[in-house]
Amino acid sequence: MAGIGFELRKILARDSYFALIRAYAYAGLISSGPWVLSILGLVAIGLLSVNLLVPTRQITQFQVSVTYLIMGSLILTGVLQLSFTRWVSDQLFGGKNETIVPNFAGVLLVTNAVAGTLALVLVFGSFSGESVIYRALMVAGFVIMCDIWIATIFMSGLKFYKTIVLLFGGGYGVSVLLAALLRSEGLEGLLAGYVTGQFLMLVGMIFIILRSFPANQLIAFDCFKKGAMYPSLMAVGLLFNFALWADKIVFWTALETGQQVIGPLHASVIYDMPVFLAYIGIIPGMAVFLVRFETDFVEWYDKFYNAVRAGGSLEEIARMRDEMVFAIHRGLFDIIKMQTLSVLLLVVFAPTLFAKLDISALYLPLFYVDAVAASLQVALLAVMNVFFYLDKRREVLVTVALLSVLNVALSVVSLRLGAVYYGYGFALAMLITLVFSLRVLERKLGRLEYETFMLQ
Amino acid sequence: MSDQLPNPVASSTAPRAIVADVGLLLEGTYPYVSGGVSSWVHQIINGFPELTFAICFLGSRKQDYGAKKFQLPANVVHLEEHYLNESSGAPPIAPQRGNADMFELNAELHDYFRAPAALARRGAAVLEQMTNELQGRMDRSQLLYTEASWNYITEQYQQRCTDPSFVDYFWTVRTMHTPIWVLSSIVEAFPPVRCYHSVSTGYAGFLGALLKRRHGKSLILSEHGIYTKERRIDLYAARWIADNRTLLQRDPTQSGYFRTMWIRFFEALGRMCYDASDQIIALYEANRLRQVQDGARAERTSNIANGIDVVKFGALRALRPETIPPIMCLIGRVVPIKDIKTYIRATRVMASRQPDVQAWIAGPEEESPDYAAECHALVKSLGLENNVRFLGFQKLTDLLPQIGLVVLSSISEALPLVILEGYAAGVPTVTTDVGSCRQLVYGLDDEDQLLGASGAVVGIADPQALAEAALHFLTDATAWHAAAQAGITRVERYYTHPVMFGRYQTVYDRALKGPSLAADFSDFQPSRAPPAVCPVQTASPNSPPQPGLDLDLDLVI
Repeated sequence: MAGIGFELRKILARDSYFALIRAYAYAGLISSGPWVLSILGLVAIGLLSVNLLVPTRQITQFQVSVTYLIMGSLILTGVLQLSFTRWVSDQLFGGKNETIVPNFAGVLLVTNAVAGTLALVLVFGSFSGESVIYRALMVAGFVIMCDIWIATIFMSGLKFYKTIVLLFGGGYGVSVLLAALLRSEGLEGLLAGYVTGQFLMLVGMIFIILRSFPANQLIAFDCFKKGAMYPSLMAVGLLFNFALWADKIVFWTALETGQQVIGPLHASVIYDMPVFLAYIGIIPGMAVFLVRFETDFVEWYDKFYNAVRAGGSLEEIARMRDEMVFAIHRGLFDIIKMQTLSVLLLVVFAPTLFAKLDISALYLPLFYVDAVAASLQVALLAVMNVFFYLDKRREVLVTVALLSVLNVALSVVSLRLGAVYYGYGFALAMLITLVFSLRVLERKLGRLEYETFMLQ
Repeated sequence: MSDQLPNPVASSTAPRAIVADVGLLLEGTYPYVSGGVSSWVHQIINGFPELTFAICFLGSRKQDYGAKKFQLPANVVHLEEHYLNESSGAPPIAPQRGNADMFELNAELHDYFRAPAALARRGAAVLEQMTNELQGRMDRSQLLYTEASWNYITEQYQQRCTDPSFVDYFWTVRTMHTPIWVLSSIVEAFPPVRCYHSVSTGYAGFLGALLKRRHGKSLILSEHGIYTKERRIDLYAARWIADNRTLLQRDPTQSGYFRTMWIRFFEALGRMCYDASDQIIALYEANRLRQVQDGARAERTSNIANGIDVVKFGALRALRPETIPPIMCLIGRVVPIKDIKTYIRATRVMASRQPDVQAWIAGPEEESPDYAAECHALVKSLGLENNVRFLGFQKLTDLLPQIGLVVLSSISEALPLVILEGYAAGVPTVTTDVGSCRQLVYGLDDEDQLLGASGAVVGIADPQALAEAALHFLTDATAWHAAAQAGITRVERYYTHPVMFGRYQTVYDRALKGPSLAADFSDFQPSRAPPAVCPVQTASPNSPPQPGLDLDLDLVI
């Protein structure tokens, strides 16, 4: 998210309380926009269809289908999300702007081929009971969503943060509108509306990307050449996305908590709703994360490497390192403070909210645990972000691998222990991984000068 | 320079040898660089046809050298080249703690380098241990990647470095030490020989010390200049060495810390070489004294002056014209150390009084193209286009009969052969007071001085004095003839090939018997079996100094 810091600093430079709030609001919107809009879009389509012609079962089928589309596309494109972004910024750094768009096209083509084949095989292999329209829409939806993630991370790599949020707003607006118009056609109608909205969103993204960069050729595959993208970043992207969904997959597939919804797709009524809602509670934390790390931390980070490169004394280098550590320290504490506040507010208002939304109060304990877990996830994101800045790819890989294993293992354990413990697996996995990553970070920062000079 | 004629017997490719008599260790010279030392090496190789030579050439980077400047004589049976400043060859990056005990030794070793006299005994033992481990527990990755190395470097920076830039300090330390491991890897692969002969201290001399320690063969050191002194001059002029002191911090009387570091580094290399050498040979007395001052043991030092082919050059006297040609010639490479600019300025002074005076410059210009261009520009700006001629490389046998005076304006020289060659050809000289020049012109001992002055010596960078002296000889025929005669007698008596080869015969004879003197650095008992091909003839540890060392009648004061 480099580059966002500049805009944030510009807002903060006005030095007023209002500017501070604006900066946080902006940061919150930028960092949480896409996924908040996704969740809101799904809920909106559901709400608009309730009590009308569409049976509840079909609404659930629609929501579960889309959830799987989102999950599957996120995990699959995880392979490229970080590695391709890194490749793009390396190209920009090297001044090779004209290679970017052709390679973006190349990545889209490869993604379409892989996602399309995979979706065709899965859909026509295991959704035999469903209509051809549903199956065709699922294939199309999967490919489109994969492309959307690629385009999104590509655009954030190019610092088009506001555009992304606007496009997501527009895309989901169209999705909700079309789904509402087509809801009389049942599941297929809802899905057709949703997929069409997503398609328009993708078209918008591609239009903006093509307009922004010069290209001397239509398509290129430089980034797939050996050594062009870091395998460690591919693995990190894949594992991180998997890790975040691992507990859900465990609960969907378990006999006690999972129900078959459509075709092979399972969902967990008990587990899903609280988790998704809990993510709304991390918007403030994400905002703090963005402001703290993209302004304070990055500032000292730059000063540190300037001191290294431009011949600062060892004491000066060490002082910059200390300031950098202090910025991380303060950033993490601010995230924790903000999320504590956020969780407390959720605890206070959730019962009323749940009653209004007609959700059973039985979900409340799980919701609280999930809110804590999601808060820990923000802190973990912040630590991973620091690792990325320091180019410690191996450490991030170990961290996300640990998270994957723990989230699967502890979720299975919590499932066995009974309903009271649901959600604790996810939360504990986050907590342990966070503590682990902080220990690693502390060690890395302690020997930062050694590693910077001796091992690069 | 006089002997660079193709040798018809020489083969164009040097076959890989198993054994040679002498391992020649040459840094930045023969056969890839032309110049006085290279010519001398060529002479020695040709002068001992019954000995075989294996050459180890050390250079900075491969691209810095062109093709061979000499055709190798047939008795060069092996030639290998190594480049010390090439970035390749570093082991793969791997974080590691490092061997703490080795770094303790390393700290002791550096204390020893800082105060060699106080810690001599312990220092030698530590050095021995460290060099033993250069391919083992103290390999290159220990320097490059270990925490122990990092801790030592940062500690030293904090304690000693007066330059603020840590990154420059860090890279200076790395760059400086990296060649040590390149040299240590040569030690293992160099073919077995019966003795080693290094023609400088510095890296080549350090390699000699390592080789001697490893294989137990005698080490000869011949120094033409004083390597560390020349390095010092280079380093003071070097622009690539960072100096990050601000205007307020900068004290013009003190050189930057990194320069000092480099100088101390070469001093330490030099001392290790002196300690390990069995015979240390200087060209002339001033240098021998300097070697002793720099740490060489006096009893191992001696002087052997360069010799020239007086028959070949003597024959040129018959070709000289009746009158003294108004032509002086500087014979040498066009490089800053020869101070060609002073020579050109002196010509300006002379041309004002005698417009037809000719000042030639005979020597290649490719070594320092920038300096050569500056010299050409100076000639132009002084309006000397009709007086100064850049001849490029010249055959001396063609050149010497045409000129009236050999001039050297160098700020540093050792024992310039061109002066002696000029003498033999009947040409007196005017030279700056550097190296052995004073003794070559006015004589060394009483008997030598009685021969009279064979030219004149002036101060360095003094165009006026140089011009006066040169004009004196070119215009006063009596003075010229007296000087020419003194030169002829002097060179024929003291500076001939037979005299020089005779001395070196004794040196090689002693060396081929094996190391006879115990050196600090080589104070080892040959528990490691020496290569079977040429058994070491161990001299008794108490063997008295062998004859030949102190018999340098002509040059010992």
